[in-house]
Amino acid sequence: MSDQSGTPGAAPGGTGGRTGAVTLVDQGNLGPRTSEGSSFFGAVTPIFRFLYSLISKNFGALLLALIVLSIFGTFLQGGATLMGNQIKNALVLGAIYALVAIGYTMVYGIIELINFAHGDVFTVSGFYAIFIANTLHLNSLATSSFGGLLLALAIVFPLSMIAAGLTGMAIEFVAYRRLRDAPRLAPLITAIGVSFLIEGVMLVREGPDYVTTGQASWINGTAFTIGKVAVGYTDLFVVGTALLLMFALGAFVQRTRLGKAMRSTAQDRTAALLCGIDINRTISATFFIGSALAAAAAVIYSINYGDVKWNIGFRLGIIAFTAAVLGGIGNIVGAGVGGFLIGLIYVFGGSLIGGAWSEALIFAILVLILTFRPVGLFGVEVTTRA
Amino acid sequence: MRKRLAAFIRTEPEGGPSSAGTSVFWILASSASGLLIIGWLLPWFVGPYDAGVGYSAQDALVSSPTGIGTILIYILAVAMVILFVSPFAEAFMRFRGRTFGPRADRIRLYLGIAGVVLTGVVWLLYRVLGEEPLFGSLQPGEISDSAIWLTMYGFALAALVYGARPWVIGRQTLAFGTAVLPFGIFLPLMFHQAPDFLLWAAGSLAIYMLLALGLNVVVGFAGLLDLGYAAFFAIGAYACASFASPIHNIHWPLWILIFLGAAIASLFGAILGAPTLRLRGDYLAIVTLGFGEIVPDLATNNVFNLTGGPNGISGIDQPHWGFMDFSESPRWYYWSLLLVSIAVIVLLYNIERSRVGRAWVALREDEVAAAATGINTTTTKLLAFAIGASVSGLAGAFYGSLVTVVTPDDFSFSVSIAVLSIVVLGGIGNIAGVILGAVILTFVIFWALPNMDAWSTTLSSTVHIPALANINFSSYTYIIYGLALILMMLLRPGGLLPSRARRIELESAGESESLAAVQGIA
Repeated sequence: MSDQSGTPGAAPGGTGGRTGAVTLVDQGNLGPRTSEGSSFFGAVTPIFRFLYSLISKNFGALLLALIVLSIFGTFLQGGATLMGNQIKNALVLGAIYALVAIGYTMVYGIIELINFAHGDVFTVSGFYAIFIANTLHLNSLATSSFGGLLLALAIVFPLSMIAAGLTGMAIEFVAYRRLRDAPRLAPLITAIGVSFLIEGVMLVREGPDYVTTGQASWINGTAFTIGKVAVGYTDLFVVGTALLLMFALGAFVQRTRLGKAMRSTAQDRTAALLCGIDINRTISATFFIGSALAAAAAVIYSINYGDVKWNIGFRLGIIAFTAAVLGGIGNIVGAGVGGFLIGLIYVFGGSLIGGAWSEALIFAILVLILTFRPVGLFGVEVTTRA
Repeated sequence: MRKRLAAFIRTEPEGGPSSAGTSVFWILASSASGLLIIGWLLPWFVGPYDAGVGYSAQDALVSSPTGIGTILIYILAVAMVILFVSPFAEAFMRFRGRTFGPRADRIRLYLGIAGVVLTGVVWLLYRVLGEEPLFGSLQPGEISDSAIWLTMYGFALAALVYGARPWVIGRQTLAFGTAVLPFGIFLPLMFHQAPDFLLWAAGSLAIYMLLALGLNVVVGFAGLLDLGYAAFFAIGAYACASFASPIHNIHWPLWILIFLGAAIASLFGAILGAPTLRLRGDYLAIVTLGFGEIVPDLATNNVFNLTGGPNGISGIDQPHWGFMDFSESPRWYYWSLLLVSIAVIVLLYNIERSRVGRAWVALREDEVAAAATGINTTTTKLLAFAIGASVSGLAGAFYGSLVTVVTPDDFSFSVSIAVLSIVVLGGIGNIAGVILGAVILTFVIFWALPNMDAWSTTLSSTVHIPALANINFSSYTYIIYGLALILMMLLRPGGLLPSRARRIELESAGESESLAAVQGIA
């Protein structure tokens, strides 16, 4: 493919070469594929071009300005208490989005596939957690004492993460592995098929209604209050766990041999193979980690919200994917930050224009990102592969 | 295992496409329609169907044809059965290494013409003698003489089309499409006062077939994954509902509204496609997925007070033209849908083979190469998206008028996936395959699964296994869609009836040798 510097969609600041950032994708493929003769964007006036590049360059700043404005708007509407409560809600929601978004971004980074089933892995992990907690009678243990709570958490987190990780590996093995060299449409279709299969199984098994997890009562009480905003232990736990897991993942990808294998597989699969990296094992490990993080998000979710439903993961998945795109797909840090940003947009946009519009707003953000800055906020434009 | 399975269900011989391939299509169509016909003829022999009791062993002769047309009908029936069987015989001969030669096709052609003419004469006789009007009043489940006539007419028409195949070069898909229509899809219409569920199933089938044909343009021809196809369906339905209902007190006729629905939907398709078509297909998939979620949301939120909120819009007008009173019975919808479906099939068939259609294929196979040969990739993709959306809008307008109430829940994500499953199951990029997929999947979803609920309840009371009654088979639809998508992609990526180019593309990916061979041929 030819050099794209002439097209307006190319993000500026591209220095070429891959950086050492926690980036799992060859970002160059995300650039626009317009040819020189494209009449749609090719024939626009220079003014349009200028505006486009202006928005494209300052996309992050514009988005932040919007977020700050909407926070301010909420402040005007409901005062400091509402604003504080909404910031708390946004951070809790953002933590969950961030954990799920990391799974999307890792899988996209390594095999360039939108894993539509990821949102449903989240849901199924919620049911795993319920099953584990009920089977081992963890609910009474967790509410008995602080030590019991720690023990219950130490049991339910690893077990459901391992179960979800194995589920993710199984999905990869059954549905994606043999389509790795097939045309792009094929794995996308099986991905959506897996998503529907998982949803169908949960619908048949768990019924169409919300299922109470019994984990909402695990963590109680108010840690401290700022003004009139009560910050509960649950909120601290959610955000803290999410941040901890994200840093652990960052360290894992940067420091360990397997993390290095993942990065090299993401950059060039053939070259990684030539260097003696077991590609299948690396990709399986990526699915395991991504799904395990989704499971952690699910456990956090059920502790925080208290109920799960067979299809909650579907919309949550779309929103988390938007977070991944916002951060720059393939970029783990970007996915984390994107998750929190999307959480802010979701909550504050919703409180300003009505909660029923939150998801429409997120979708509009997705379209805007793809129009103006397809590489995301933290994406690095690199020269396209020949 | 996979290879063996693929060989087992392979439809085309190794030597490439020939009329043998088409005759396998014919067998598939014939056996499917044969089963359907047996099913519908059943009440004729065992008495009328009673909703409470089932088939009762009443005197079957009550509804059997008598009078002057009977003998003609039986003669015709024998001739048509011969026609019906002859492709099987031909396939058997071919299996043994011999063929009937071109004479068989010629005979079928002449018999087909004769059948169409003769059945027309019988129908006229019926009309003149007034023995039974075309759609007299019969009990549910009963089958009228004119229904049998119409069945025969379908046979004759199919034989004619199939027989004319060698003379209409390169029209196998079209021939197949036209042949399948009277059998698999619109046969229920021929039966007056058919049970309601059958009429509804046939209506859903026609609507879903139109949807799948439209999605096939996007996914099959242009190779772009659209996961929010139900959104355009919703736009068409809401366009129809807004302009033909008391909600805004506008009452436009349906024939304008189907074009209006198509136009609005294609406009939205172009608007949605424009920002993402420059990117890779994955992004289009996720954006359309989001769009498909948002449109029902907008409808639920009663955007600009246009959509009536969660309860939707009710009281949609039903047309009334002369003797065609659409509100009296859904059958006029079926006849209209039949005409519209044929028109859409012919149109899409021609588009596929036009300059635009070839540009889509080029784009699908290799975007860079296509751009290098002077194809404007953005415009071409947008065109695919707009055309696909317009078919969906058209189907939506029909749907709105047919069901008279549209609510946001009718256009959920599972509708998009149902349509995608039809396309993938039948054959991505192949019109005939998509029609077959629509027949199979709507049969399973709208007929087999709901009936299995009833059967398992009956069975559980008979054999005293209460657990059987508790299985809600209708809730297995998601699993069926999911399995259909996964298994088809893994085992037979071209679908049941693969289009040749698509099959080669999907199967030879990664095998550069055969790919080069294909490119050498093409």
